[in-house]
Amino acid sequence: MSEFEYLRNVTVGQYIPTESIVHRLDPRTKLLAALFVALAATSTRSVLATLLLVALLMGVTRLARIEVRYVLRGLLPAAPFIVVLMLMQLLFQGRFSVCETVYWEWGFVRITPCLIELVILGALRLVIFLFLVSLLTLTTTASHIMHGIETLLAPLQRIGLPVHEFALANIIALRFIPTIAEEMERIAKAQASRGGDFGGEPWWRPDRMARARLPLIVPLFVNTLRRAEELIVAMEARCYLGRKGRTKFVDLHFTGLDWVVIALSILLWVVLWRTPWPTFT
Amino acid sequence: MAPIIRIEDLHYTYQHEGGAVQALRGIDLTIEQGEYVVLLGHNGSGKSTLAKHLNALLLPTQGDVWINGWNTKERRHLREIRSTVGMVFQQPDNQIVATIVEEDVAFGPENLGVERQEIQRRVEWSLARVDMLPFRHRAPHLLSGGQKQRICIAGVLAMQPSVLVLDEATAMLDPLGRQEVLEVARRLNQEEGVTIVAVTHFMREAIEADRVIVLHEGKIALQGPPRAIFQQLDQLRALSLDVPHVSELAQALHRRFPAFPPDLLTPQEIAAAVIACCHENRASPQRRKEQRNEGRNERKGTEDDFAPSAPRSSSRAPLLSLRRVAHYYMRGTPLEVKAIEDINIEVQRGEIIGVIGHTGSGKSTAIQHFNGLLKAHEGEVWVLGQNLADPNVDLRAVRRAVGLVFQTPEAQLFEQYVGDDIAYGPRKQGLEAEEVRARVRRAMEAVGLPFEEFKDRITFGLSGGQMRRVAIAGVLALEPQVLVLDEPTAGLDPQARRQLMRHILDLHKQGVTLVIISHNMEELAEICDRIYVIAEGRTVMAGTPAEVFSRASELRAIGLDAPDMTQVAEALKAQGLLPPDAVIYTLEQAEAAIAELLLARGAVLAETAAGGQAR
Repeated sequence: MSEFEYLRNVTVGQYIPTESIVHRLDPRTKLLAALFVALAATSTRSVLATLLLVALLMGVTRLARIEVRYVLRGLLPAAPFIVVLMLMQLLFQGRFSVCETVYWEWGFVRITPCLIELVILGALRLVIFLFLVSLLTLTTTASHIMHGIETLLAPLQRIGLPVHEFALANIIALRFIPTIAEEMERIAKAQASRGGDFGGEPWWRPDRMARARLPLIVPLFVNTLRRAEELIVAMEARCYLGRKGRTKFVDLHFTGLDWVVIALSILLWVVLWRTPWPTFT
Repeated sequence: MAPIIRIEDLHYTYQHEGGAVQALRGIDLTIEQGEYVVLLGHNGSGKSTLAKHLNALLLPTQGDVWINGWNTKERRHLREIRSTVGMVFQQPDNQIVATIVEEDVAFGPENLGVERQEIQRRVEWSLARVDMLPFRHRAPHLLSGGQKQRICIAGVLAMQPSVLVLDEATAMLDPLGRQEVLEVARRLNQEEGVTIVAVTHFMREAIEADRVIVLHEGKIALQGPPRAIFQQLDQLRALSLDVPHVSELAQALHRRFPAFPPDLLTPQEIAAAVIACCHENRASPQRRKEQRNEGRNERKGTEDDFAPSAPRSSSRAPLLSLRRVAHYYMRGTPLEVKAIEDINIEVQRGEIIGVIGHTGSGKSTAIQHFNGLLKAHEGEVWVLGQNLADPNVDLRAVRRAVGLVFQTPEAQLFEQYVGDDIAYGPRKQGLEAEEVRARVRRAMEAVGLPFEEFKDRITFGLSGGQMRRVAIAGVLALEPQVLVLDEPTAGLDPQARRQLMRHILDLHKQGVTLVIISHNMEELAEICDRIYVIAEGRTVMAGTPAEVFSRASELRAIGLDAPDMTQVAEALKAQGLLPPDAVIYTLEQAEAAIAELLLARGAVLAETAAGGQAR
């Protein structure tokens, strides 16, 4: 409805607290399980098996007491990309197809059953990845995800990777997304009140488009830098002197259920990988 | 016991645009454990610089600062010093590091290497101290300003500091948020023995203190208990600070009635003193009669002031009007929120309209309907005789006619040079270069920035007050008929605030209609023709300042302040000393009414004033 409200709809890391069993799992469990499901999706070439995975994810969604429709609607913005990807494969991948049967051929375009399988498989895998990510963020707070990643990657700290700094920077980034989105909205409204407008420049003149957006971008950058400076001072005032000597407040611990879920997801991967599912090739 | 803070001959110099700036020039100060100290001073007086020396965020260029015996110059004590002196800054948004309240509070103790169970205990303890325990699992960005600032205080408390420094921590809050934060500070001081050092330019906050220190040009200009400091009104004015109306009233009354105490700090004290005077002087009807005659002329004068200003001719169509307007955010999603639901505002040409309401009441949403930034989901918006729901309305023309200045408008500047920034609107409008130049000149001069001197200055090198005036000039360059200002003076020091208000009122004299949103009731009481009160998305009161402020208890019920003078009058009305329909919201009105009351009760006039000077 409103021309300025689009910025409020930033739903990165949108968390729906339904307090389900999925929500209560340790974030590391969910990260690992997501990893194995993704592995499983890439290690089978069967459409049937992949469809089973999609069904499984929908089951988990129900278990998390979240509407499957809601998750699917969240995937809609990605639909154009998936369609473009499918078209590209359909047009250019036919030549490499190993199938004997050819349904239709014109120039370099060659449609075979294997190609169709490949296209469907590709689309389904993308859907699974996106589904996994949204399921993770719908059932886990951004902060827990970051703490999970930090703990999982902690061993890498020993070889000099700045895991803690990476996690902290990410948490701060997440923390400031809504603040900066609000700020952007305010600046857009303020410039509109001064007679500015954004859009209306022809798309073939990117220079003019960029120039027209300067009144939004410059203040946003200036203000964000100022925020960053103030944040640094505030963090220093609260004794932040880097990772050394720090303890952690957030307590992650595995329960029996966590181990079961991890074991099951590994099993799922092995089963999908090792079982001869029906395919065209 | 040794003092918790000891400062000796502190100098601080920094480089700014090639020149050395002496921010502090020889400060000597000791603060004892458990003291409540307020640092006052206008912008640039050095008060924030001094505060930042208290936990080694800045180090002295000359002299020494000892915290609990540790010299801040010794880096090895850094952790001890910073956990002893906790600091809360102006912008709560820029101090919160985590996405969950309790994790943010834990940040300090985590840095100190405190064990998990102990952190847990401290997080709960500090959140309870600031009354935010029920919010521990919430996301900070969904809280109000006052709540966020209390989270910041909790984050500092979790380090168990002996000293809490509030560096203008209330400057960006609404009156309710300010009260919340002050209440917490006072409680920590009294119950936990925490030393408080509060930097502020709100005089009312200084009343809480044991000691007030006024800084001026990097030196301590005045120092003492608030009662003594606020008697030196002329000196405070000379240091470009605000003078509280209450102190001014007490001194004015003292000048006329020597028996009236001159050193009162709160509306309650004034009321109590008046009541005490009245009881003392109940006797001698003879005398009362005499003095009454002397007071008569004066009473006549004040009655004229009290008469509610006649409503402006309602036959004319209003310039702007919102009729039963409702607006929803995120409409059509599960997260839909009703921001406003029944807003009615009418603005006539030439008026000054005030809009009050606490943060989140929907007043900012409401005013964004005036120039079509938001569209009414229900109800009607009429601007200059056009219904904005009509698709044929040229919104750009509407936005030029109704200039909207947002809160902290300096945050929207983007051009390198002042002149270019102000010219943005007129250029977008497609005006000739000559006309643009003329408009920029007029706009700059209207806000007191001489064109030749400022047009080629670097925008981001200006002071906060100057940047704000540039931003307002950017709207004025569109030559609007109505100027809508959202909190035009928030965050400015008293001097910059007075200057800005003067320019805004000049605009009104030149024929610009004004709509001002403000938390500063004193300010609105003095300048507005009519005031609208908004609460929970509805217009709940409307009328002249006299009408609105006569309903002080209702205002308080919705979390708003009444002017100090109204509070004095309320207390006196409750005692039956003033008629219930007396209208008092400015200093002059209060002084006149109380003087009359005291005369009627036979208080003794100052001898010199007994004859002619009482008018």
